[in-house]
Amino acid sequence: MRPSRVLALVLVVCAVASPYSGLVPGWTPGLATIVCFDALSLLGLNLIFGVVGMLAFGQAAFLALPAYGAGILDTLGFPFALDIIAGIGGSLLLAFLMARIFVRLPGMYLAVGTLGFGYVVEGLARAFPAISGGASGLVFSRGRAIGADAWYAIAVAALAIGIALYSWLVRGAFWRRLRTICHDELAAAVLGIDVAGVKSQVFVVGCAFAVFAGILHAYYVGVIIPEDAGVDRSLEQVGMLMVGGLGYLLGPLIGTALIQWLFIVTGYAQRYELVIYGAAFLAAVAFAREGIAGWLDRPWRIIAGWLDRRATPSPVSPHGGSSPIAETRADRSEACLAVSHVSKQFGGVRALDDVGFSVGFGEIFAIVGPNGAGKSTLFNIVSGIEAASAGEVRLMGRDLGRVAIANRAPLIGRSFQVARLVPDLTALGNVMVRLDQIDPTLNESQRVGRALAQLESFGLGSLADQLVRELPLGQRKLIDLARAAVGDPPLVLLDEPAVGLTSDELAHLAGLLDQLRGRGSAVVIVEHNMEFVIGIAERGIVLDSGRVIAMGRVREILRDPRVHEAYFGALA
Amino acid sequence: MGESGNAEMNPLSQAVISGLMMGTVYALLATGLVIVYHTSQIMNIAHGEAYAVGGIVSAVMAGLSLPLWLALAAGVAAAAAFAVALEWLMLRPRRDWSINGLILVTLAVAFFMRGVLNLWVGADPLSFPRLVSGRALRIAGGALPPQGLLLIIVGLAAALAVPLFLAATRPGRQLRAVAENPDAAALMGVNVDRTRTMAFAVAGAYGALGAVLLVPLISVDFQSGLGMTMRGFIAAALGGMSPLPAVLCGVGLGLAEALVNTYLGALAQDPIVFLALIGVALWQSRMIRFGGSLRA
Repeated sequence: MRPSRVLALVLVVCAVASPYSGLVPGWTPGLATIVCFDALSLLGLNLIFGVVGMLAFGQAAFLALPAYGAGILDTLGFPFALDIIAGIGGSLLLAFLMARIFVRLPGMYLAVGTLGFGYVVEGLARAFPAISGGASGLVFSRGRAIGADAWYAIAVAALAIGIALYSWLVRGAFWRRLRTICHDELAAAVLGIDVAGVKSQVFVVGCAFAVFAGILHAYYVGVIIPEDAGVDRSLEQVGMLMVGGLGYLLGPLIGTALIQWLFIVTGYAQRYELVIYGAAFLAAVAFAREGIAGWLDRPWRIIAGWLDRRATPSPVSPHGGSSPIAETRADRSEACLAVSHVSKQFGGVRALDDVGFSVGFGEIFAIVGPNGAGKSTLFNIVSGIEAASAGEVRLMGRDLGRVAIANRAPLIGRSFQVARLVPDLTALGNVMVRLDQIDPTLNESQRVGRALAQLESFGLGSLADQLVRELPLGQRKLIDLARAAVGDPPLVLLDEPAVGLTSDELAHLAGLLDQLRGRGSAVVIVEHNMEFVIGIAERGIVLDSGRVIAMGRVREILRDPRVHEAYFGALA
Repeated sequence: MGESGNAEMNPLSQAVISGLMMGTVYALLATGLVIVYHTSQIMNIAHGEAYAVGGIVSAVMAGLSLPLWLALAAGVAAAAAFAVALEWLMLRPRRDWSINGLILVTLAVAFFMRGVLNLWVGADPLSFPRLVSGRALRIAGGALPPQGLLLIIVGLAAALAVPLFLAATRPGRQLRAVAENPDAAALMGVNVDRTRTMAFAVAGAYGALGAVLLVPLISVDFQSGLGMTMRGFIAAALGGMSPLPAVLCGVGLGLAEALVNTYLGALAQDPIVFLALIGVALWQSRMIRFGGSLRA
């Protein structure tokens, strides 16, 4: 075992034993039991809100729901096991329905929807006192049969299982997928991630943590009141998570332990409670985005690194795996991409009007035109972000209109005008996101090998382990390009690849595009740098106000007087 | 409203009258949310606090035996100042944050404000005298207090002035330009920051306008804000985040709520409002082609 693991284990044992030590006033096994249950629920919120960034303000409702469900069935005389199962199952079903209804919409809908859900659960619990116990609460007597120490053991075990489950879930490809969605849903969709599907899963799984925590909590405390479901409790959960550290494994535990303990030692500051709490929440949101776990993270890494370096030789970075398959498609005579009669209407504006062209395998094809000519709209239609109002796009003979956006990723790689990478993943991790999507049969080390080989063939091997947020913009663009082209998609769409590159990087880029062409991909570039376009592309089209005003060999179309008027006239 | 001692009350007419009054307030709130959304791309969860601040400041000032008009003006001014302070102090320094991060900031501000109001005036509901008193008007078996009539007329006129203002005046067109594309608007010489400040000030003042007209009829307390945000949001979302439809949807929401209240009871109100929100979400979803909330 590595020394850092030993140290971590010692710390865990100390933490578990701490309520019995009496060293910290007010930190009793009873409080620690509550903290464990709350931390379990917060692990779920951490997944939803910390990792994926979905605004969910109804976690307390999902804590209270299973308890109300089970408790009400219990008072009606149903068998105990059935109460529990029905309470949990019913709550999860509601979580699933909430996800289906709200997750596809912009974030504010889920925010308001979950807030409203809390209001409704709280309101219903008040409205039917005959069933729910009303304001004085619904009583659970079965938990009293178990002693306090046994409850503490149960709570620690439940939290340990929760943490294990969370770390098992949130790693590797799933982790990369979640971070990509969090940072850029559009890029995630273009990479082939089913954004709404993954977000729904995350919401239900995150609520499941709350549901299990809630039922344990209710039987431990012995009573549940309408406020337990309410907006205040939900916001309290968000606040504890923010204080603890959003997105960190131990953020939930640290945040809950600190805040719950503060509540106890300050004796619930009564009149001042709301305003103190509000101020703390606001401060955490506005100023301390990393939370306590965030600023403990660095010292821990330093200590752990120091301990481990003394004990073991430097870790071997995972290497190897197969090299990219250089499948040659250059011999294929049919067109790779065929766009015919495509139009796009936005309200009254015609963004594209009867656009048609085709691109062969192993060809670099240029689309030029002034800003607002419809180039980005065209890319969006080909990559599936927008639907064409009319016309057809075929890729290797397949009608793309019938291919869902997630299924286009293996066929189409796309880079963006401003690189849309995930800043807190490494360059390697960013390239792997696309491999995760297009070839699920690969295992983790094969993906590492392929992604590393791709970066190396783009001359970026030395950057593999660097976080993208620490890299300059030019290098990010090249990494974006490497990501778009990994797995050798038949079609690569590049949106202004030359913008912002130094002259050295430009020469490097030209070499890379040549390399893509050599591998047989059809490459379509939108670019304003005419010198670069003439140097790299043979054929192309000129778009102006959504129409194709010239088509053919790049050198010739750029000399066309109409093109000069539309394009350079605007500049002159 | 407890106005009438007369015998023949028509519950339907009464529901329509109270629905129109509540609906006017929702229309004002929705209008504020929409203009803030268009200039800053965020959903301001602290928006309802402008209603609470406006109502509570007016009530406290009126309690200090200030002239009523001055108390009400103070309420509106305080709410506008609150909204502008939110934009200046909390949102403007964080312009590079994600939209969701900023929405979270507005939630935190709402939460903090609620604590401040609770500390200041306690938990009891507050009210103040009506601007216009007199006998209730009898309309088809329903009673409309003159204050209610004033609310409906002034409130709707103010709410409907916004679409007109956006379409017909220079600052209005600038606001729309900022909504379309802030960068392009800035290039064309529009002062984006000033436009945003203006939008927040108007939104805050409108929230408070609803409060100063409604609170004499229905009292306000420190936690009125979040519920008002939610209702304003439902109306705004139902109206597709454009000002004129949002006004109509606000009135419609008020009417629906009042009818539910009359025929199903007050307890059904929150669940019904939530069902309306689900309805809005489902209706909006049908326009989304592929997973996720994509904007290219």
